[in-house]
Formats: sequence, C-alpha cells, structure tokens
Amino acid sequence: MSAEMANEIKLISGRSHPELSEKIAKRLGIKVARTISLNYSNQETSFTVGESVRDEDVFIVQSTSTGDVNEGLMELLIMISACRTASARRITAVIPNFPYARQDKKDKSRAPISARLVANMLQTAGANHIVTVDLHASQIQGFFSVPVDNLYAEPSFLRYIRENFKTEDCVIVSPDAGGAKRATSIADHLNTAFALIHKERPRPNVVGRMVLVGNVEDKIAILVDDMADTCGTLVKAAAVLKENGAKSVLALVTHGILSGNAIETLNSSVLQALVVTNTVPLGDKVERCPKLRVIDISPTLAEAIRRTHNGESVSYLFNHAPV
Amino acid sequence: MVRNIVVLGGNSHPALVESVCNMLGLPACNRVLTKFSSGESRCEIQDSVRGKDVYIIQTGFGGNGSKLNDHFMDLCIMISACKTGSARRVTAVLPLFPYSRQPDLPYKKSGAPLFKASSEAGKKDYTFDSVPATPAPGLPRSAGLINGSDITSRLAKTALTNGTGSMSPVKQTNGDGFFHGVNGQGLQTPGFTTHDYENGSHIGAFQAKPGYKQWVAQAGTLVANLLTCAGADHVITMDLHDPQVQGFFDVPVDNLYGRPLLKRYITTHIPNYKEAVIISPDAGGAKRATAIADSLGMDFALIHKERRPTKITDRQNASMMLVGNVADRVCILVDDLLDTGNTITRAAKLLKKEGATTIYALLTHGVFSGDAINRVKASAIDKVVVTNSVPQDEHKALLGSKLDILDISPIFAEAVRRVHHGESISVLFNYD
Repeated sequence: MSAEMANEIKLISGRSHPELSEKIAKRLGIKVARTISLNYSNQETSFTVGESVRDEDVFIVQSTSTGDVNEGLMELLIMISACRTASARRITAVIPNFPYARQDKKDKSRAPISARLVANMLQTAGANHIVTVDLHASQIQGFFSVPVDNLYAEPSFLRYIRENFKTEDCVIVSPDAGGAKRATSIADHLNTAFALIHKERPRPNVVGRMVLVGNVEDKIAILVDDMADTCGTLVKAAAVLKENGAKSVLALVTHGILSGNAIETLNSSVLQALVVTNTVPLGDKVERCPKLRVIDISPTLAEAIRRTHNGESVSYLFNHAPV
Repeated sequence: MVRNIVVLGGNSHPALVESVCNMLGLPACNRVLTKFSSGESRCEIQDSVRGKDVYIIQTGFGGNGSKLNDHFMDLCIMISACKTGSARRVTAVLPLFPYSRQPDLPYKKSGAPLFKASSEAGKKDYTFDSVPATPAPGLPRSAGLINGSDITSRLAKTALTNGTGSMSPVKQTNGDGFFHGVNGQGLQTPGFTTHDYENGSHIGAFQAKPGYKQWVAQAGTLVANLLTCAGADHVITMDLHDPQVQGFFDVPVDNLYGRPLLKRYITTHIPNYKEAVIISPDAGGAKRATAIADSLGMDFALIHKERRPTKITDRQNASMMLVGNVADRVCILVDDLLDTGNTITRAAKLLKKEGATTIYALLTHGVFSGDAINRVKASAIDKVVVTNSVPQDEHKALLGSKLDILDISPIFAEAVRRVHHGESISVLFNYD
C-alpha cells in the first residue's frame, strides 16, 4: 500500500445504532468498515474486523440502546480493544449518549460512581479520544485523562426553534434547577424569557411536587433538558405550565431514552410535541408516538469526526450546526 | 464466624452465594442490584464495607433471562462501589471466568466456525459436523480468496490507480469499488457490516476485505484489565481454560482446581474405576486429563483432531482420531468446559464406535449453551458430571438422571477463609 493510503478514517459501527453510523458514513463519503459483532451461544460478545486498521484513524460509533446498556458498553469495549491490538494509530470512541452519565457522584453511602468506572474502562480498553453529545454533567470530562469532545445539540435546537416559532412568543423553561444553565443559554441566544420549575425527587424514576418560577402566560413554553427517560418529569412539568396559562407546551430534549411507559405517558400528556435528537436509537417509537419529532445529529458528529481527523478545531460546532 | 469479612453476591448465582455464606457462618451483604428502566445497572450496597475484606461472587454465566454482559458490568460496578466505599481489599470471585476461551476463528451463533456455509447448520437442531479450526488443503486460505483470483497482482494494480489520491478533506476509501468488483456481489450501502446477528444470512454474507484475514477480538485480556481497572485487588477463579490468563492480571489470581472433586467422584461413583480409561477429548486438555489418570493410576487415551486429509470412510468422524485402546472398557472423558457440547459428544460417538462400554463425561464448568442439552441427550454419553460453578438447576431439570452435580461451594468457602486469614491456598490445589 502506498503511504497516502495509510491513516484514513475507519468508521466502525457497533450494533446499537447502525442507522446513525450509516448517516455519518454517508456524510463523510466513506463506507462503514466491514466488521461483524455477534453473541456466541454462551452470550459472550464476539467482534471481528474484516479489514486492516493498522495505522488508521479509527472512529467507533456506539450509542446505548434503551434496556441494553451493558450489552452495548461491553461490545464497545471489546471493539476498542480489538482495534488497539490490531495496531490502530488512534481510536476515538463516538458515544452520542454516554452510558451511566447520571451515576456521576457519590450521593449516598457506597453509591457507585459508575460514570467514572465507564470512563476508566474506556481508557483501559484503549480509547485515545472520546466524542460525545450533551454529557449529563460536563464534569464527567474530568473522569478521563484523554481528550473528551462534548458536543452540543443546542445549535440544532436553536435552529429548530427559529424555523418553527416566532421567538418573541416563546419562553424557555428548565424542568429542574440542574438544567437551568442549559436553558438560560438557549434563552439568551434567542433573546427570550426564561422560567424554571423546581421539583422534589423522592426516589429515582419517581417525580414529586413541582413549583414554577417565572411567567409563561399566553406563551409557547419550550421545556429544555438533556435526557427524557420515563418522561415523568417532562409530563408533570408540562401540566404545571398549562395550569399556569401557557398557550402550548413542547419539549426539546437531546437524548430520547424513552424507557418504560414513556410513550404511553407522552401520548396521554398535554405536551404538544417532544423533539429529540437521534443520539439514541428510537426504533418504532416514532410510529408509536405522533408527538415525537427527531432532529438528525449526524451532521454534527460527522463534522466533529472530520475535524478531529484533520486536526482542525472542533469548537466551531459548539455554536453552529452543520446543515 | 469469620470477622471483618463481607461476602457480596451478584445476581448470576444466588445459590452459590448462599451456600458459601452458610459455610463461612455469616450473612450475605445486603445490597440492591437491579436495573433502571433505561437499562443501566443500579447498585446500592446497604451494609458498611469500610475497612472490610470484601469478596464479590459473580460467575460468568448468563441464562434464565439474565445476560452475561449485565453480570459482568454489575461485577465491575460492585467492585468500584466497594472501592470508593473504603473497603480494605476487594476480591472478585469468579467460579467461571467470562471470556476465558479465546477464539481462534470467527464463530457463528451456534458456536461452530463461520467458514462453512451456514445452510448446513440449519438442517438439523444440532450437527456433529464442524470444520477444522485451521485452514486445510482444499479449503480456501481465507474467506476473501474463495474465487481464487490472484490477489497480489490485483493489489499491485490498485496501488497504481490510487497513486494520486483524492483531494477532498475526507478521502474516499480508495479501492473500495475495486474490491466490490472482485467479490462480484452487489455490496449494498450497509456494506459488510453485520449489525443484525439474529439474521443468520447476514452473518453468512460477512467476508473480510480480500487479502485481509479477519481480526477477531480476544477479549480475555480486556476482561482482566477491566476487573483491575474497576479496583479488584485479588481474583479467585476455577479451572481457567488457559492457565495463561493468570498472566493477564497484575493482581494475584488464585486458580482453584475442580480436579479433586472429579477425582473423588471417580473413586466413589464409578465401579471398578481402576479398569476404566481417562480420555481427553482434545489435545489441549491432555495435561488436565493425564494429571487425574496419573494420580489415580489409571490408563489414559487421547482423542486428537486430525487435520490432514485422510481417506474419508466415516464422514462425521473424519477429523477425529483416538490414540489408545478403549475396547470393552469404561471411558471417562475429562475436560474443563462444556459449552455447546460439540467436542464432548463427538468424542463420545467415536468412543462408542471404538467399543467403549459406558461413557462418563466429567467437566468442571457445564455451561450448556445453545442446543447443548439436546445434543447431550442424543449423544452416546451415559452420564455427565459437572460442578455448580454456574447454576445447574435448569440443566438438571432438562437432563434428569443423566446429569450429576458436584458442589464447589466448600472449595470456594475455604479459599475465601484462607485468603482472608492469609493462610496458604496451595493445600486446596493438592487436596485429595
């Protein structure tokens, strides 16, 4: 092989979100590498690379599909390790939805800091670089000693709002105090009003009482958050906003995990629409939930991969969404 | 009663955890180990582990609706939780070490090599056919060379045509078009990436890029590294498939042996055992089998996978050869792991053909994955003996009196006690 052929982008896809990998590959004008992942009958995961990755710039795209987080994570680790032992020059794990991002602190005795464990595992397996989208807490970057590019869905959301609504009719609402920063940033960019809902959470996946701070009367209330899991928070928040006189309520969420009864909860809620990105595979949820709208995040990821490969700055993507 | 020790059990083998705890005379640590609805593991350790010596028991087995990878992640999370909870020392106890068998070839879901057309496998529930693991004369040298085109001259041509390279920021993968041409099959957009392992035809269609022998992930080292990175200070396991796996770790590994149990079974349950023959079903397990044969003063024979082309009279056993004499004798097959049961049932078939009277199969780990249960049921094996390194209740229900189970919890309880008190463990290795 000639020298020019070495060190190209090798895009490797895990089993969790092949559609996203295909979109990224198409955008980059390359083909997804020939690989095969399967589970043996004893459930061990096997991964085979069907082409040389020696001295190549390897990008492994693996999201975490709802309900099968550990399976996807283990597969990702095995893929990284396989490319490392196959002499890849650099391995970048593209993890749009970082697993265990919510277990990022020791909030009670002997609670596992699983996000840190995942970070250590990725590095142990041999990842040299991480690309992810909207980390639950950006401090998770500190769990790594390799570079982490935390991309934002915010530019895509801003474009969506500008294209679909008159910004002066909107008010941006954060459904909890933790997301206030994310929401204010969007409100500032759009130059709109901002409100906040304060909630009490007695147990995980259960939502308590909610209080609205701010005015949403006769406005389109846009809830902004980083993940929608069981959607309990969003739906309750939407109800609170309606009670307080909002004209309509929609939600913009980066990661649509939508586990448990999320779809049924959404369908029977006052939410007008839930807009998510395709960081998490949605499967048949789009058909099952007419309120679900999907923004494609693959241009941002593809551009981040291209820039990372060519050694260009990625920070442009923090404020701009490629079309 | 042992002081200052915490035994924490995973979800993979609650019966073993309970049994070990009973022998140590202490209750298992209270914990919550479930899943959030998103699929992430949720782990809460409810008893204090500060300054304690923690032993976490989790075997490398998925079944009964649970998943192997879930159990492994749970184990790592528990180790990490204990470490951050100021445990003095965390020992991972893995009766069956996951990913310890390193494949030398891509396997399909049933455990048989990928090289053969998958249509064969679909004929029956199970098959005794399998292709030797190394390329043999008459077989293509690699999957990519099936059409027999001269790859080197073709490659030289590509190198020339690609000499200039394209100028776009992201270069097109040069030569891809060429490679598709060689394969002669319409390569639709998903390429050869097979995401859908449930779809057998996709896997059959997988081919390495011509000229490249596929690279199979060897996860054993990774698993060892992940355990250490999670914070394990010590690992206890049993009958590692490759003893070299111990070398993958930077922390001490105690590899216990199921051999004493198997030996005791032979001496107590097999009449006239001195007249029987110990058989190793493949060359790799010869050392394990001879160790038992030597210490009991028994005869030994070996089944060896013949990989040279031979005159094929009996197709099904064409690749198997028996070294030694078993005519009119009781045969005891000894191996470390029964997974799909392919090796052991094929060996039994050969032994029956060579005139064996009764066939026992003694194995440390009985995983019984895929169609192993049916295969063992249909085989010439009269009795399968395994340890409870993985839960055996379901297998027992399906196999009935054909399966005998040996209890390993005393060995593990004793190992935990000795490791905790800093006593020598080597007594357990030579234990008779």
